[in-house]
Amino acid sequence: MNRFENFKAGLIKDNPVFSLFLGICSTLAITTTVNNAIGMGVSVIIVLIMSNVIISCVRKITPDEIRIPVYIVIIATLVKIIQMLIQAYAPSLNTSLGVFIPLIVVNCIILGRAEAFASKNGILDSALDGLGMGLGYTLAVLAMSFIRELISTGGIKVVNPFNEAQVWLNLHIIPENFTISIFGSSVGAFITFAVLAAAVGAYKQHVTAKEEAAAKEEK
Amino acid sequence: MNKIVHLGLFLAIVSAVAGGALAFANQMTAPVIAENNERQEKESLLAMYPDANSNDFKLVNKTLDSKTVQKVYEYKNVYIFNMKVSGYKDGTVFLVSIDKDSKKIDKYNAISNGDTKGLGSQVTEAPFKKSLEGKDATGQLDTISGATVSSGPVVSGIHEAAKLVDQLK
Repeated sequence: MNRFENFKAGLIKDNPVFSLFLGICSTLAITTTVNNAIGMGVSVIIVLIMSNVIISCVRKITPDEIRIPVYIVIIATLVKIIQMLIQAYAPSLNTSLGVFIPLIVVNCIILGRAEAFASKNGILDSALDGLGMGLGYTLAVLAMSFIRELISTGGIKVVNPFNEAQVWLNLHIIPENFTISIFGSSVGAFITFAVLAAAVGAYKQHVTAKEEAAAKEEK
Repeated sequence: MNKIVHLGLFLAIVSAVAGGALAFANQMTAPVIAENNERQEKESLLAMYPDANSNDFKLVNKTLDSKTVQKVYEYKNVYIFNMKVSGYKDGTVFLVSIDKDSKKIDKYNAISNGDTKGLGSQVTEAPFKKSLEGKDATGQLDTISGATVSSGPVVSGIHEAAKLVDQLK
């Protein structure tokens, strides 16, 4: 049960983006389209799980003084491998995500989880934590990119990253004359981020207030 | 002293393993990446000249004193310049073909542009393309008002390419 709680925490309560405010740079930058968000989310999940597992494996033999450099080397290697794979098998995704794939290295979520969780817990727990946090990140970028793409282009378009010609989903909801292109730029990213972070904050407050009320009643 | 050796050794081993993993991944993906790039380039050339065969484009092997010209292809009586110019964010990558003799712009095709959609991204769109094709590449070319950060370098890139045509012949 505890394991599941740990895993679930990453989704909303300890959502890395909207609650812990980690990895915001990439969140703001790549959420222009849902397609990008899916690509980035999946990459982050893979890197996060693998780095958590590896770091958890070597946690007992890693000397304490150099643990951060060791983590960085591990994470950087994983990210570089992912980048090469994306370049080779999903070139269109590589073009649209650009520099933000290599920048996963410095995404604080990954180093943060390595330091705060994987270096102190077992392999399975660390993998689950990686999955939970990765899903939390993906959920956050998906939510942001959905709003931004919808408002800035009037629709949602999702294509197969391995074959650009294959369109999975193509929705048109808002007529072209009513779209707000500012949501496609960084200003729109900040606005969307603020609104969503506020909503998550309000939800958390609401839950805490409820719990407190229930606790009082019991007394 | 022992401690330093131990730490150094540990870090060296970790880095060596990481290097090995990277070398392996690189070996696996490098040919695929090269193939992708080549195919993409051929596709954009074919988009300019749909009637051509992808083997008709001959790469010109001549070092040019230019930072913006990436590659030059020869096709019939035009030179096709693959240019990378600055602009907003990532700049613009485009292909422009210039007639060897008349120095007229035959075709223009933008590959990528990092500018804001609806503003600088107009350099990839049809009206701008139309405004260039058929014009004299050495003469005056119109930029897009309100989007000069991207369209300006494109125009000066074309001017630069036009100057290089004689060197290539």
